[in-house]
Amino acid sequence: MKQILLITDGCSNVGVSPVLAAAHALKEGITVNVVGVIDYGTIGELGSIEIAEIAKAGGGISRVVGTPQLAQTMQMMTRKTVVQTIQHAVHKELTHILGDGSLEDLPPHQRAQVVEVVDELSETSPLQVALLIDASASMKPKLRSVEDAARDLMLSLQARQGTSQLAVFHYPGRHSGEEAVLDLDWTEDISRIHSLFGRIQMKGATPTGPAIFKVIDFYQYGTLNNNQAWNEEMMKREGILGDYVV
Amino acid sequence: MTTSFKTTFSPGTIIVGKWRRSRYYIHRMLGQGANGMVYLVQKVGTRQLYALKMGYETVDLQSEINVLHSLQGQKHYKTSRKQGHDQHASSFLVEVDDFTSDNKEIPFYVMRYVKGVPIHAFLEKKEREWLGFVGLSLLEKLQQLHDGGWVFGDLKPDNVLVSEYGHVELIDYGGVSSIGRSIKQFTERYDRGYWNAGSRTADEGYDLFSFALLCLNLLYDEGFKKVTNQQLPQARSTQDLLGLLGHPNVHPYAKWLRKAILHEFADTTEAITSWKRDVYPAAVKLKSKQTHVTPRWLKSAFAFSIIMLCCAIYFVVRF
Ligand SMILES: Nc1ncnc2c1ncn2[C@@H]1O[C@H](COP(=O)(O)OP(=O)(O)OP(=O)(O)O)[C@@H](O)[C@H]1O
Repeated sequence: MKQILLITDGCSNVGVSPVLAAAHALKEGITVNVVGVIDYGTIGELGSIEIAEIAKAGGGISRVVGTPQLAQTMQMMTRKTVVQTIQHAVHKELTHILGDGSLEDLPPHQRAQVVEVVDELSETSPLQVALLIDASASMKPKLRSVEDAARDLMLSLQARQGTSQLAVFHYPGRHSGEEAVLDLDWTEDISRIHSLFGRIQMKGATPTGPAIFKVIDFYQYGTLNNNQAWNEEMMKREGILGDYVV
Repeated sequence: MTTSFKTTFSPGTIIVGKWRRSRYYIHRMLGQGANGMVYLVQKVGTRQLYALKMGYETVDLQSEINVLHSLQGQKHYKTSRKQGHDQHASSFLVEVDDFTSDNKEIPFYVMRYVKGVPIHAFLEKKEREWLGFVGLSLLEKLQQLHDGGWVFGDLKPDNVLVSEYGHVELIDYGGVSSIGRSIKQFTERYDRGYWNAGSRTADEGYDLFSFALLCLNLLYDEGFKKVTNQQLPQARSTQDLLGLLGHPNVHPYAKWLRKAILHEFADTTEAITSWKRDVYPAAVKLKSKQTHVTPRWLKSAFAFSIIMLCCAIYFVVRF
């Protein structure tokens, strides 16, 4: 199971649409959840619409909360998404048996058995969560809470029976062309989550879409630098890739 | 696959089960939480009152039902229930079904109606010494769960209902996890992970820790609030909690709470034994000392009458 958890406080303003990026992620089997964090005022109408749209396109959940609720919200979303992902997978398997019927069409005692399987798999299936953190200027005062919430999430992940890994990214990078920066590679070790964002220089731009594409790359190739799912996708579509890979 | 509804049902509505065709008359809403809504209902054709919980998500509600089912099948649970009066003998989970409303399937289950108030409301009205008694019942409830291989998880005042004479019932089994698995649902201020005091893996100690914090909260609300709100996440520690144990309110519980917070009890059985031995008598006696201490004047009056008696006997014997 693969998830991206995007943490932002406003609207994207550079590059490819984050909604498209999230749709692409889902196609690659990665669910995208979004938390909007605000401490003062509101997130703005545009921001809240975008947040909801990204999550919808990415097959995930969105929430808007203040920093005190951040940790618990992230834990709840991650858990819910795991159950939903498993549920979809189990449901696919079951369509052989159920036809196109849903869980609600099953009589209670059979439903009980299905849910037992869902619970079991939710606990034991391997899970990867990539945190993608908006580090534009307005997020600066919140980064401390974001790191605390990341540590808290790792604590919940560690309690699972299946292997669970966390990676942390922020965006944008130092120069254009660096759409996302890897702060912490896949880890199961909570002690590695500390002073993640010490060296960040805050900028105004918020290239959420390109950053999501970067993380998709990372899921596929284990690095941010070489391949670009975005370009590759374009090339595949235009049949160029075949010419290059001989 | 998910059922989401926002509709609330007004008193007088009749809920008809799709599979078993039972009919329930809605009296009023009892409460509503993250997982569903609970109504006070009456089974049509009987005088029996129940609590009926409708779930927002089929999977979540079913997984709660699975826990209740397996508890019901548990032998120890059954026998220990029989020891109580009638009310306890009837099982907690009564019926499971779905009903259709506005073309939506809403899953529900029917359970025993617990006539009680949350533990903090109960103790506000009674003397604090009741915590010795109610705490013991709550620990025994947790023990039943633990014996079945479960951990309650989301232990908080709202999930502990207490009847007028201190009978305790846990409600909301949505956060229950098997021992060894991850805690499904928790409330931060009672969660040992939040206090940097251990993992979120379900074990007996997890519930004992939450129980201890619940007691601290009930005994010394201001102190508990203060340490909960003050600390930065990384600075939070059991030291802050242990610092509250010196307060006079906490006195007879302090030693026990300390052990629960530091995970020094081997299991729930040991924790109960210690509660019975060290906490319960002290918690109750403390109070009885204050009210039933013999006043000084009565003591001297008694001494005086003894002297008089002696004199009387002396005179009788002498003459
Ligand atoms: N058996 C019962 N008897 C009486 N009242 C009940 C019963 N079960 C639930 N309630 C009431 O309904 C409220 C909501 O129930 P419950 O806690 O099960 O819902 P939930 O959605 O799981 O809540 P939470 O958000 O705490 O997880 C309770 O706080 C309580 O007041």
